[in-house]
Amino acid sequence: MRARRNLTRADRLGSIAGGIALLLWALRKPSWGRAAGAGVGGWLLYQAYTGDNPIFRPLGIRVNPQPAQAELAETLVVEEAITISRPRSEVYAFWRRPENLPGFAGCTVEVLREEQEETLAWRALREGRLLHFGSLALRDAPGRRGTMVAARLEYAPSGGSLGTALAHIMGRSPQRLVAENLRRGRQLLETGVVSTTEGQPAGGR
Amino acid sequence: MKAVCWHDKLDVRVETVPDPAILNARDAIVRVTATAICGSDLHLYGGFVPGMMKGDILGHEFMGEVVEVGSAVTGLRRGDRVVVPFPIACGNCFFCQREMYSLCENSNPNAWMAEKLWGHSPCGIYGYSHLLGGYAGGQAEYVRVPFADVGPVKVPEGLSDEQVLFLSDILPTGWMAAENCGIVPGDTVAVWGCGPVGLLAIAAAQLLGAERVVAIDRFPERLRLAGLKLGAETVDYTEDDVLEALKDLTGGRGPDACIDAVGMEAHAHHSLAYAYDRVKQAMALESDRPIALREAIQACRSGGTVSVAGVYGGLIDKFPVGTVMNRSLTIKTGQTHVQRYLRPLLQRIEKGEIDPSFIVTHRMKLEEAPLAYAMFRRKQDGCVKVVLRP
Repeated sequence: MRARRNLTRADRLGSIAGGIALLLWALRKPSWGRAAGAGVGGWLLYQAYTGDNPIFRPLGIRVNPQPAQAELAETLVVEEAITISRPRSEVYAFWRRPENLPGFAGCTVEVLREEQEETLAWRALREGRLLHFGSLALRDAPGRRGTMVAARLEYAPSGGSLGTALAHIMGRSPQRLVAENLRRGRQLLETGVVSTTEGQPAGGR
Repeated sequence: MKAVCWHDKLDVRVETVPDPAILNARDAIVRVTATAICGSDLHLYGGFVPGMMKGDILGHEFMGEVVEVGSAVTGLRRGDRVVVPFPIACGNCFFCQREMYSLCENSNPNAWMAEKLWGHSPCGIYGYSHLLGGYAGGQAEYVRVPFADVGPVKVPEGLSDEQVLFLSDILPTGWMAAENCGIVPGDTVAVWGCGPVGLLAIAAAQLLGAERVVAIDRFPERLRLAGLKLGAETVDYTEDDVLEALKDLTGGRGPDACIDAVGMEAHAHHSLAYAYDRVKQAMALESDRPIALREAIQACRSGGTVSVAGVYGGLIDKFPVGTVMNRSLTIKTGQTHVQRYLRPLLQRIEKGEIDPSFIVTHRMKLEEAPLAYAMFRRKQDGCVKVVLRP
């Protein structure tokens, strides 16, 4: 098993800089208070070394240092899954339409690989620049309970893990983007409509 | 139209808001003829449920006349008189197909919020916080009903509004609470809380064959309804120790099943535990006060069932898991799968086996909702159930 990582290179450089700054600050005028600062500094250096910060772990942030698409030096990885009570052929046909694929607005989608009703891999570009790439894997749910869809999306980290963590807390994480895409797909496939409250009345906000 | 809007803790207002419109092909618009305030609305009113926003239209117990249907709605047409179940359910998903409608996977547009708190999301519910979809509720002149081909049940003209209105929530809720007890002949069922759900759970337990039902509350008018109207044995917890009283009544063994029809804002009489939970809840160290639930667990006979109909929102403290484990208790609970019970219960109402209208104590105008909420919260004037008419 590959070592888990949740810090991007930028995060690790930031950790090194922060860690060294704290250590230097503590050494310049040693005191008990500053010794605690040095402790934090050492901890930051250790995070930079391992590339795995426990604070980000519960947020499900994962860094891939060797993405399959070489244009990206490293990526953040999102994996989400959903089960849909419809046959695999129907589910596949739905996501085969580029406008239904998860991703960011205003990008061009290139299908990289497709295995009928099983796998669909694509990449998304904006103005020639690779934004993300992803894949969907479909298989029959046991007991004829429809289709299990596993989505994986890898995208260039902007703002690093810290930025992603903040987005997560604000409810705007890429995880949510992918999960919402899958959920919308299930709603359309199972019910024919997308559940919404957009446009309903409310009193004075 | 006029609608009852939540503004803040203990602040609901009747406001003029735009009329609802069809947003999806499976929607309908219903002109509300009667709507009720639910005990669980008091949790919103008291500010105990997260995810409420200023201006949210309240109400999940309502009925009325269909005035508009979306292009994909079958089996329902303009002019139909319907009762609408409080869980919004698509009818197509894994859970709906298994008649677990309150777990519908497709009806909560804010599923991600609920997932953060509860791991997975249940269905959307009218007027019950943005965690459950933020759907505008039915304490209004008109309401939008999503998946109108699945939820609403047509009711015959021969029955009054008050006879059928409670099919929307509390009658099925009381029924499911009793059904979850797995009652067999000879069973004794104890019910904590004689509010509308508790009273209807008592009636349901009797119809499902309970030998004896014991009702626990502190308000005399509620205990009177349980005792005189329904023939339950009653325990006033301000006078008697509930655990001792239940032991005495059941030959020391405890009730075969216990129903918690109280939920997150339970009271206790001069009890240290109550003070503890009040303080922890006020400091947001726990979201719910599980006093009735703890007591139901302690009281239940070994190998018995604790059925939880009262609403809980988040986290509790000092949960007697050792009791549950060592005495082989079963806990059954859930938001009610109302759609599952609509037709069978409507039949029982038509046959005269059950008439839930006996719980109504107050009939008021929709405009009087702020007063009604305040009165219901304080249980003033013997208030058990308020029906509002737009």
